[in-house]
Amino acid sequence: MTPVLEIRRASKSFGSHRVLHEVSFGVDAGEVHALVGENGAGKSTLMNIISGIHRRDAGEILLNGESIDPTDPWQARQLGISVVFQELSLTPNMTVAQNIFVRREPTSALGLVHWRQLNDDARALFERIGIDISPTELVGNYSVGIQQIIEIAKAISFDAKVLIMDEPTSALSESEVDRLFSIIAELKQQGVAIVFISHKLGEVLRIADRVSVLRDGEMVGVVNPSHSNQDEIIHMMVGRSLGDLYPAKGVVSDEILLEVEGLSHPPLFRDISFSLRRGEILGIAGLVGAGRTEVARAIFGADRYSRGSVKLAGIKLDLKSPRQAIEKGIVYLTEDRKVMGLFLSMTMRDNIVSSALARFTDALGLLKHRAIVNESLRAIKQNDIRPRDDLLSMTSLSGGNQQKSLLAKCLSANPKVLIADEPTRGVDVGAKVKIHQALRDLANRGIGVIVISSELPEVLGLSDRVVVFREGHVSAVLDGDNIAQADVMRYAVQ
Amino acid sequence: MHDAQILKSKQSDGVGLLQRFSLETLQIGALALAIVVFAIIVQLNFPVFLSLPNINVMIVNFLPEAIIALGMTIVIITAGIDLSVAGIYPFSAIIVGLLLLAGAPIPLAIIITLAAGAFIGAINAFISNTFRVHPFIATLAILLILRGVNIIITGGSPVSGFPEAFAIVGQRGIDFGTFLLRYSVFIWLALALLIGYLLRNHRFWRLSYFIGGNRRSARMSGVNVERYLYFVYMLSGALAAVAGVIVASQFNAASNSYGQNLELRVITAVVIGGADLNGGAGSVLGSMLGVLFIAMIYNAFAMSGISTYWQDVVVGAMLLASILMGEVLKRRRAN
Repeated sequence: MTPVLEIRRASKSFGSHRVLHEVSFGVDAGEVHALVGENGAGKSTLMNIISGIHRRDAGEILLNGESIDPTDPWQARQLGISVVFQELSLTPNMTVAQNIFVRREPTSALGLVHWRQLNDDARALFERIGIDISPTELVGNYSVGIQQIIEIAKAISFDAKVLIMDEPTSALSESEVDRLFSIIAELKQQGVAIVFISHKLGEVLRIADRVSVLRDGEMVGVVNPSHSNQDEIIHMMVGRSLGDLYPAKGVVSDEILLEVEGLSHPPLFRDISFSLRRGEILGIAGLVGAGRTEVARAIFGADRYSRGSVKLAGIKLDLKSPRQAIEKGIVYLTEDRKVMGLFLSMTMRDNIVSSALARFTDALGLLKHRAIVNESLRAIKQNDIRPRDDLLSMTSLSGGNQQKSLLAKCLSANPKVLIADEPTRGVDVGAKVKIHQALRDLANRGIGVIVISSELPEVLGLSDRVVVFREGHVSAVLDGDNIAQADVMRYAVQ
Repeated sequence: MHDAQILKSKQSDGVGLLQRFSLETLQIGALALAIVVFAIIVQLNFPVFLSLPNINVMIVNFLPEAIIALGMTIVIITAGIDLSVAGIYPFSAIIVGLLLLAGAPIPLAIIITLAAGAFIGAINAFISNTFRVHPFIATLAILLILRGVNIIITGGSPVSGFPEAFAIVGQRGIDFGTFLLRYSVFIWLALALLIGYLLRNHRFWRLSYFIGGNRRSARMSGVNVERYLYFVYMLSGALAAVAGVIVASQFNAASNSYGQNLELRVITAVVIGGADLNGGAGSVLGSMLGVLFIAMIYNAFAMSGISTYWQDVVVGAMLLASILMGEVLKRRRAN
């Protein structure tokens, strides 16, 4: 059987930098073929070559055995190759149907749109993938998860023979991931060839029929998920295994730094109690929606709570704003770096010192430029942010380096307690390792670190103790070196 | 964290005003209501206010704003802005006048002038596309240049004495005895109906909403955004030229002093009419009501004898109120 889409020995260089070297890859009809690799391994470049954003230097792209040469994503879509990009490409103030069929609306000879036909077409499309979304609703009124599904509906509305999804689950909750996977199963049934690009190996193993691993621009190998495991794939991706991924645990003192007692704010969370010791990494596990972020924001003073108390080094806090929390030494690394954490259009330098400007201003309120430069260069070195140019705008950094900058920003406030919410979301394995190491270094310096993460291996690999949240309350506090994933999961769901 | 959002993402179908109507409908409805209330209040004090002759005066006084607002609406929908219209407007009045004085046939003079307006629009688009300059700056530069050019080519004194037949464009009309319904009003009506209809129903014209709503997504959907912006700014320039030709005919003269602060009045009207400066929202109906509202305020103040300085206070307050209302509606809906 010929694959629907086949890449033969594709190569691509940018200047002297070789990004892809003789990569071959194929996907069959009705198959989910996952593509994994660290950031910079060449996944995006491969996808950009297929969709016509970049021109390959050498090699061939075959669709149903015939050589093709798309020059832009639009043309690739016409040919039957649809890419769902990581960033949503929908227009929030237009309706679902208008978004899906933009530029392809059914029209009269004069170009006037047949609105009823348009909405019927959208409805038929949703029926095909078995979902219930109103075509006439504004896209902006739907959650990001549903928008992602609309995006996929748009992609397949081009009669896609090949559907390429780049990190489709990065913004989805567990239940939305399930929904996405059932849509993928439906499309498989219909013979669509699917390329699934993801950092989340658990999901990859769940959905993929084959997994191809890219490393440094070369295809390292193709594995069959039923005969493989995460450890093996990670090993292929980075050349090291899971065991080495997490830093060695440290020595935790007995001194209690932060004590949360009976914190409640129904219906979001109730009766939350736990303590954090100096030098400890405390993991908070639980499903999305279990109240983890809400509790963190309450401790940080960003949201109110109705009952309970938070003590820092034995002194009761009554924080009314994040500003007061930062002054007391509690900082919060937000889970959404683009929306709440970073000033994307500003430079790395401005971002790094933005939480601690008080430290860098003189009595008149003027900025101490030399001190700012020193601090930003120090932070860049300490956190290994690349490239080492603190006057670059944040937008020009990769996800991993943005995340490291965000961490640097939090640290420049000299915290006693750091709350890191999903600190490695959407970053590649290499950056992940560095962030984990940085968090452990902080703990070793006597800072108390709280890590909230939806990735169980991360919580377990990193934490000294794990607090499990379920539906707004603490269902277990687990201690020790050998906490099993299955145990945490049981407390999180039952 | 966002689970709550997902759950309520669409379980409340058809509850209350807010859900039943689109934001656009609500804003236009509120504006129409404000117009009616204002008209009634003024009418009770000055019975001549809603007489046909006075309504005719209001329309004719704000005809240039109304025509230029048609183009500005589309420009703002694409998340742009066009300040240069206040330069193109007197410029084209002068150009058509000079061409006529030089003996050019009337249709040819008008066509060349409209083409010149479109050409200046193309320059706007070229600058902002090529150098990635915000249209505010690009069109501000062109506005300043044109203001200077207008003085240079006229020497600062009005151009006048056009052929008799040119009067048909902006002076002549149907005589109703108490007032003269000028043909130029029909030009505006035809343009407004046509553009309003196309913006609602035509595939190509609707792309402006996508470009303003999310430029990247428009590009991903295969829209040639740069080329489209040429179209948009050329249309805006050409419509400003239409207004310039009409005013030259109306006064049988062209002066560099036409159109002072016109760009701000037009933008104000379009925003009061529900267009979003961030792009993606706006309508011809809303913009026309916005112009009507401002026209009524100016007219009422002129009639009342209250210091006309107050009219700007009222227009500014109205602008603020409409923006606040838009925000409140948006937030209420998001919850």
